[in-house]
Formats: sequence, C-alpha cells, structure tokens
Amino acid sequence: MLNVLIIGIGQCGNRILDSINKEAFGGGKLSKYYSRQKFPSRVETIAINTAINDLKEMRYTKAKDRIHIPNLHGLGANRIVGKQCFNENSDMIMRNISERGEFDVAFVISSSSGGTGSSFSPPLIKELKNRYDFPVYSIVVLPFREEGTIYLQNSAFCLKEMRESETDGIILADNQFLKNVGGNIQTAYDGINKMVAERVLFLLEALDSEMMMVTDLGDFKTVMAGGAGFATIGFAKGDNITPIKTVIRDSLSPSGLLFSSNVYEEGSRAMIILRGDRKYLSIDDISSEIDKLSSHIGHVFKGVIIRNGETPQVLSVLTLETTAELDNLYTLAVEAIHMEKEKRSRMAIRKEADAIFSKIDGLEPEY
Amino acid sequence: MKMNRTIIHTLSFLFITILSIGVTSADNIHDEKIYEGDGYQINNYFIEVSGITPFEGGVILDVTIYQLKPDGSYEKLTTTDSTKSEDKRKEVKYHSGSVEITVNEKNLTSKYIIVDITTAGIVIEYETAVDGGVSQANYIGEPSLTLTKEVDKSNVEIGDIIRVTIKAKNDGNGIAKRISIDQGFTPGFTFKSNIYATYPTELDIGSSFTQMFIYEIEATNSGTFSLSPATASYSSSVFDDDYSSTSNSPSVTVAGEAVETSEIDIEVTADKTKIKRGEKITFTIHVENLKDGPASTIRIDPIIPMSMTYVSGSEDIDIISEKPVIQESVYGARYEKDYKITLKADEIGYNELIVKLTYNNGTGTVNKEITSDSFYVGKGEFDFLAEYPLYIYVVPVLIIVAIAGWLYWRRSQFRM
Repeated sequence: MLNVLIIGIGQCGNRILDSINKEAFGGGKLSKYYSRQKFPSRVETIAINTAINDLKEMRYTKAKDRIHIPNLHGLGANRIVGKQCFNENSDMIMRNISERGEFDVAFVISSSSGGTGSSFSPPLIKELKNRYDFPVYSIVVLPFREEGTIYLQNSAFCLKEMRESETDGIILADNQFLKNVGGNIQTAYDGINKMVAERVLFLLEALDSEMMMVTDLGDFKTVMAGGAGFATIGFAKGDNITPIKTVIRDSLSPSGLLFSSNVYEEGSRAMIILRGDRKYLSIDDISSEIDKLSSHIGHVFKGVIIRNGETPQVLSVLTLETTAELDNLYTLAVEAIHMEKEKRSRMAIRKEADAIFSKIDGLEPEY
Repeated sequence: MKMNRTIIHTLSFLFITILSIGVTSADNIHDEKIYEGDGYQINNYFIEVSGITPFEGGVILDVTIYQLKPDGSYEKLTTTDSTKSEDKRKEVKYHSGSVEITVNEKNLTSKYIIVDITTAGIVIEYETAVDGGVSQANYIGEPSLTLTKEVDKSNVEIGDIIRVTIKAKNDGNGIAKRISIDQGFTPGFTFKSNIYATYPTELDIGSSFTQMFIYEIEATNSGTFSLSPATASYSSSVFDDDYSSTSNSPSVTVAGEAVETSEIDIEVTADKTKIKRGEKITFTIHVENLKDGPASTIRIDPIIPMSMTYVSGSEDIDIISEKPVIQESVYGARYEKDYKITLKADEIGYNELIVKLTYNNGTGTVNKEITSDSFYVGKGEFDFLAEYPLYIYVVPVLIIVAIAGWLYWRRSQFRM
C-alpha cells in the first residue's frame, strides 16, 4: 500500500483537496457522516491557507487537516509577501507534515495565480525535496486569462519557481481551457475541481491496485520524468456501446484533457489506465490504440483495472515536450508585467504631485 | 269538652236549685183564676187544674203540682188527695226541703177556680197562666250557644279566596230560639258570596256542632289579621230576652304583593359526545333570565373534572385560584347569554361537567346546579405506544442518540 500525501494550498488548492476528499467519501453531500473514504492507499491530506475563511469553507476535509497560517487573512495575490510568510511558518508546516509519518509520493495542489498557493507551493516543494526522498508532484491550476495582470505574472513566476524547486513534475490544469465546463464561473470552478479530483483518485487507484495489466508508481515516475517537466491528465468515460478505442481517443482529446495540448505532437511519455467491465475492455483494441499513440510520442505505459459491471473509463497521464499554450501564457504574462511596470511609473508621477503639495507643508492660510 | 259539659251541668243544677229552692223568701199570688184544664207556672213548677168534677150537687176539684224538666217532660209532685174531706181538699201543698208551694182554693165554680198561691223557698223568676195544662208549659232554662269560626287556609296572598265556616252548638239548658248570625266581617277582606246560609233558627240543648254559615271572602290587604268573630243572637224558649254568643277569631296571614323576581335557567351542552385522550371538547353554558325582574350577583362555577384540564374560554371567564369562574353583576329581564369553555382530556373514562349557578333573584340567593350529558374519553391517537414494553422505546432512542452523537462527533471533525 502506498503512503500518499496530498497538500492543497491556497483557495484553489483547498477546494480541489476538499473535492478529492468528497469524492473519496463517495461524492454524496452527506456521505462524510455515514461513509469511509475509499482511498486505495493510505492518504494524508493537508490544507494550508492564510485566509481562515477559505479553510472554514471546506466541508469534507477534517479540521485537524487544515493548517491556518496565523495573523494573515490572505496575501492579496502578493507573492513576495507570501514567500516571506512561508519562510516564517515553514517550520510549523513541515512539523505538521513530519508528524504524519512516511510517504511514498506527494502531490501539491495549488493555483499558479493567487497569493498563498502560488507563493507557498514552490518553497514548500523545495523543503519537501530537501527533507524527503519521495517524489513530489505539483498540480497547478492556471488562471482565466482575463482574470488580470497580477494573476498572469504570478503564474509565470510561480511556474518558473516551481521548475526550480526540483519538483518531480508539474501537472497542468487550465481554467481558461476548462471554463466551458460550467455555465457560470462558480459552476465552472466546481466542475473543474471535481474533474481534477476524479483524475487524482483514478490515478491513485492506478498506482495502488491489483490490475490485469499493471502500472505502478515506478511507471508514473518514469512518465513524469519525461518531457519538459510539464504534464497533464486526460479522462473519458464511455457507455456500454462506445468502443474502447473511442474512449481512449476521447481521453486524449481536448474534451478529456485538463490542459490544451496536442498530445500526438507535444507528448513525450504517457500512461494509459483503463477501468471497467472485462467485456468492454478489448485487449486488441486497447493495444491497437495505444500502439498508435506510442508511434507518435514514444513510450506508453498501460494498465487495466477490472471492475465488473462498470462501463469503460480511461485515464491518461501525458508529459509534454513542448507546449504552445504555455508559451502563449508567458507571452501574456510578459505583457502583464510591462503593464504593471507602467502603472508603477504612473505612481512615480503621483509622487511628484505629492512633492508639489509638500511645498505648503507647515503653512496656514492667512485672511 | 267533657270539662265544659260538667261545668254547664253544674251551672244548670245551681240555676235550677236557685229557681226551685231559692232562698228562704216567700211569695204570694192572690185570686188567680184558673179554668179547668189550664194551669199556672211558677218557675219550673206548674200548678194544673186537672179537673172540676160535679159531685153531689157541688164540684170536686183536682189540682196537681208538677215539676217541669229541661227535656220537656214533667214530674208529678203532688195532687189533690181525693180521700180527704171536702174542706181539706181546698188546699194542696207541696213541700220538699225548703221549697213549699201551697194552693188554696178561694172560689170554685164548675168552670174555674180562683186560688191563692203561696210559695216559700222560691225566688220567682217566671210566673204565668198557661192554657192547656202542663203539656203546654215550657221548661224555663237558658240557652248558651258555643260558636266557632273556621277558615280553610290561614296563609294566603292578596287576591286569594278564603272560605269561612261558622258552626254552633247549644251548651245551655234551654232551647236556643230565633237564632240569627252576624258573620262578623273583617276590614281587609271583601265578602264574595254565601255558600251556605240556611242555618237553623233553633238549636236544642246539647246539640252537636251544627253548620250555620259558609261564606267566602277575598284577601285585599297584606298583613296578619284576626277575623272578626261571628256573633249569634238568640232567645230562650220562654223569655224574650236576647242572648248572644261570639265565636273565636281565626288568624289569617295575607302575604304582601308579590315582588317581581328573576329566574335564571341554565343549560350545558357539549360539542362532542366522544373524544380521544389529548383532544379538546367545548361546552356551551347557556343562561337565560326567564322573568321580567333582573337577577344580580351572578356567579357560575364550572367544576372541571379531575381528569380534564381547562384550556380556554369566553372573554367573560376569569381564572380565580386556577379555576374558571364567570361573574356578572346583572342579568336584565329576559337576558340570554352563551359562554364557551374548552377542556382537554387527560385520562380515559366517562366524564361530565357540573356547573354551579348562584344569583340573587330579588328576594334572596338562589343556588342551582346542572350537569352536562356524560361524554366518553377514549384512547388517544398515540396511547398505544404506552402499551409496549420499555425496551421497545429504549432501543430506538439509544440508536437515535447514538446516531445523533455520531453525527455531532463527525460534524465536529469537519468544523473549524
């Protein structure tokens, strides 16, 4: 049995972590009262946030698993303040983690754009890598592009620092790419959180289950070690008449991926896990489709989990050699940084105006 | 009665004795002319010329002295002794005790005799010549009527009719004759009619009470009255002297004019005849003043059964010492009102609501009590639950408590 640590940081990370816990309970609103979490492994979840209200909003994560960084109520998307705050509280955070025992793998979930998540994740991953030898993977949620210049520049620096933190892989989920999941922003957020949660649980099951065709943590490490360090996850669910080939292709298509990517051109390595009743899982069809993917990207690990009576579901983990979308994001981020600089220079003019006003400091009007 | 009769007999005896014996006085009657067959009465002695019989060229005289009895009979006391010589026969003497009557012939004809009568020991109250002899003489006695006046009711109200009966009996020793009755009307009463007025004008000695008069009067004034006595006026058989007797005066109380009073009628009705335990039943207390007079100081006390609880009632109902009470100062003439009272059944069984009413009807305090029809309180909707053993409840309760505890504990795990 694997020992898995999942850390959700900041509002986005907390919500995805809460969604993972909810799905582990079974997904029902009241399931936490009557059900046990169905993690295949020993899973410890920790939510970290500077905003207490974000922690209080969590419904399916136990209170003891929520760490509030005291005396702060959010960072206002300021990563400099956030990193300083982490440094001041890192001992407390790491002590909490160490008290939870040994782990085989860790996932750090956060947004790249916000305050706490984007500023805490890189140094935390660095600390984990320094202290422990288990792989640490980050799941990073990219912002809506129209959310603002600060979020864009935060994302750019966060991802850069994440790479520098020696993380074992960055799994990307892009709100901009997934925003058509729900009708409004809140529904979209909830839908994205649930999508990420379902994929993470499927992945954990794939890493720690008895399978007809086995994939394990080693395979996952190999996949995640490929490419440029970025990865994404795809998922698709078929019905009882959908050919398994189609389901596999759907999981690799934009409708199944968490991040915009042409996997056949940008992919480096992949792991495909199939789950369902044996009657839906034709080995020939599976092999045929996976061979097709292999012919484009190289090596593809595959695993098959038999679940009697279940319709076929496919999880695909793909590492990317290149990503045009990420390049686009950084282009926008550079523009955003320039815009912020211009704003800063305008602030300097305001300071000059302040200097003019200062000429009458200490004087009183005479009548 | 017997005592009265004894007294009367004693008085009669004394009277007769006085008449017959008198004191030692003497009296003379001279030259009284008496025809044959006639006589002369002195008190109750009668001197009869029984016969003047021709004898040897002359006439022989027979004189008899009688004693008259109250009953109309008479007793021969003495008579002419025919064995005596003619000269000796000219005198007839009766002597008994101190009484002495002597008849002396002064002149005798074939038709009559002229005599001198000498008496001794007699106070002559009555003397007269009597035609027809002793059989025509009247006993000299005094009647004495005892008169009674009776009423058929002694407590009446104004306007009521009272029947008055007058009775009389003769307790004297002479016949009462020419009796007339004065009914003796009393102020405050009005004569209505005679029922019986043909009373006898004579009453014999010793007669029993005889109905003399019946008449009706109407009470016109209030108060307690002694009816004026009836008076009987009458005469004895030989004297024209008037006697009179008066009756008793019966007392009659006439109530004053009736005060206008009130009378409250009370009814209690329930809206149900059968309810379940825990359910409510509403009673309507209907009160009505049946009279034109006002009732005052009204108090109505519904007596709540032990197995019921008072829930609510009309605005007029006060709660005094945790009990519902209705208090009203006045119910006017013909006033009607309904009061509602709602009770809740606490126990199973038959029940009834008792309502006590107290009021002043104008003349005094009146108390009434009325009871509603009986109603039955059956098992409540959930009473069957109490019939199960305790563990039937304990187990689910424990389960519920355990679930609640679990939920609380679980929730607290997820609350920050």
